[in-house]
Amino acid sequence: MTLSTMLSTMSAGMLRTTGIFALTLLGSLPLGMIVALLRKSRFAIVRGFIRVYISVIRGTPLMLQLLVWYFGPYYLFNLPIRGWRFPSLILGFVVNYAAYFAEIYRGGIESIPVGQYEAATVLGYSKGKTFMRIILPQVIKRIMPSVTNEVITLVKDTSLAFTLAYQEVFSLAKQISASQTSFMPFLIAGVFYFIANYVVAFIMEQIEKALNYYR
Amino acid sequence: MIIEMNNIRKHFDGLEVLKDISFGVDSGEVVSIIGPSGSGKSTLLRCATFLETIDGGEILYMGEKAAHTDAEGRAVYVHHQQLQHFRSYCGLVFQQFNLFPHYNVLKNLTDAPIHNQHRSKDEAEATAMELLAKMGIADKAKAYPYQLSGGQQQRVAIARALAMKPEILFFDEPTSALDPELTGEVLKVIRQLAEEKMTMVVVTHEMPFAKAVSNRVLFMAGGVIVEQGDPREVFENPKEERTKQFLRVFDR
Ligand SMILES: Nc1ncnc2c1ncn2[C@@H]1O[C@H](COP(=O)(O)OP(=O)(O)OP(=O)(O)O)[C@@H](O)[C@H]1O
Ligand SMILES: [Mg+2]
Repeated sequence: MTLSTMLSTMSAGMLRTTGIFALTLLGSLPLGMIVALLRKSRFAIVRGFIRVYISVIRGTPLMLQLLVWYFGPYYLFNLPIRGWRFPSLILGFVVNYAAYFAEIYRGGIESIPVGQYEAATVLGYSKGKTFMRIILPQVIKRIMPSVTNEVITLVKDTSLAFTLAYQEVFSLAKQISASQTSFMPFLIAGVFYFIANYVVAFIMEQIEKALNYYR
Repeated sequence: MIIEMNNIRKHFDGLEVLKDISFGVDSGEVVSIIGPSGSGKSTLLRCATFLETIDGGEILYMGEKAAHTDAEGRAVYVHHQQLQHFRSYCGLVFQQFNLFPHYNVLKNLTDAPIHNQHRSKDEAEATAMELLAKMGIADKAKAYPYQLSGGQQQRVAIARALAMKPEILFFDEPTSALDPELTGEVLKVIRQLAEEKMTMVVVTHEMPFAKAVSNRVLFMAGGVIVEQGDPREVFENPKEERTKQFLRVFDR
């Protein structure tokens, strides 16, 4: 196998890796906010549920969670497993990352001084407006460094999709390496992850810079 | 009367902080509240501005009841929507300014009028610029709070409260977080507002200021109003032993 056929075979995997990455962020960034807000719900049952969810997610390996999402419906409810690979994969990633993002959001929300809420209340902001106009913009600025860390971890975590034999770049690298007895595929995969992280770090840095207009 | 608070009671987990306090403020009046730490001054302002809920008593703005005590002796507030209407009667200036750091000065002044009072952007900005000029910081309209000195920040906070066109403005130790050389500029604008007959209640430790600017001084201690009256009377001729003791500490 020539280098160029290797590259073109693996580029399909790179596309799939990017897909997992993008869909996970698209789902988990907003879901994390909902989780963070539900954590402070009026209802003890909701708060309790969220606490258990977060501690289970943080207390077990993502790889195991992916297997549970994939095989769970089949073993528990005898549901067909065909076509379930990709949805279960995204579900597993989104639910996992939402828990981590929720914790980041919570820390950010709690770091906003109570005086901001009081000033907003006296100025007639409703609860919703206080959150959207006064609190959230400040939270976003404060949590950017932690979010960047998490997003970079996600780039690398996408390789866990190999557990479900999903043909993303890492799975392909392993397969091609074995069949061609070549080290090259791993090098290609490594370079791909490295560049992907470089791009992510660059974009996040631009966002942080854009938010630097105030302190 | 702009505000009337009758028989206000408030406790925090067992601690009686306001014990049956009654007080009212007439239009154009400037009232200073003095008293030792922990006497309940801030709590009184926070109850008046609906940041804290009272346990008993009644609160009226412009003769309308915002809270009253029911047959069981519990305080009952008007419902949520109406409370927003009562909130628009009063403004509060905090010791720590509490400006919105992500908004520039102009937006700090216009955001609430536009989004909460549904004024037009043009009107809100014109009002804001007028107020900033009055505070002597018109050139800071595009600056962010972190770029301002404490005295400038507090003047922005006063302008922000005034931009809502409140009937009465409450100040909770507006100069206590400032370096001594910056208190003057803030006291000056409050004095100017007093001359324009803005109705104000000022919690302060600045005795000369309280004496010079207010129409009435109120001495609070241990959750009650110990003594009140004309500032010269209270400062030069206090009747209560507790007041004398407090003022003696300040004379030194
Ligand atoms: N949220 C709260 N929870 C519990 N106790 C409180 C709370 N707010 C105030 N207190 C207590 O109520 C009492 C009165 O407090 P308050 O802040 O009204 O006093 P103050 O007269 O403003 O004092 P200072 O001059 O120090 O500002 C104090 O004993 C204080 O510890
Ligand atoms: Mg106080």
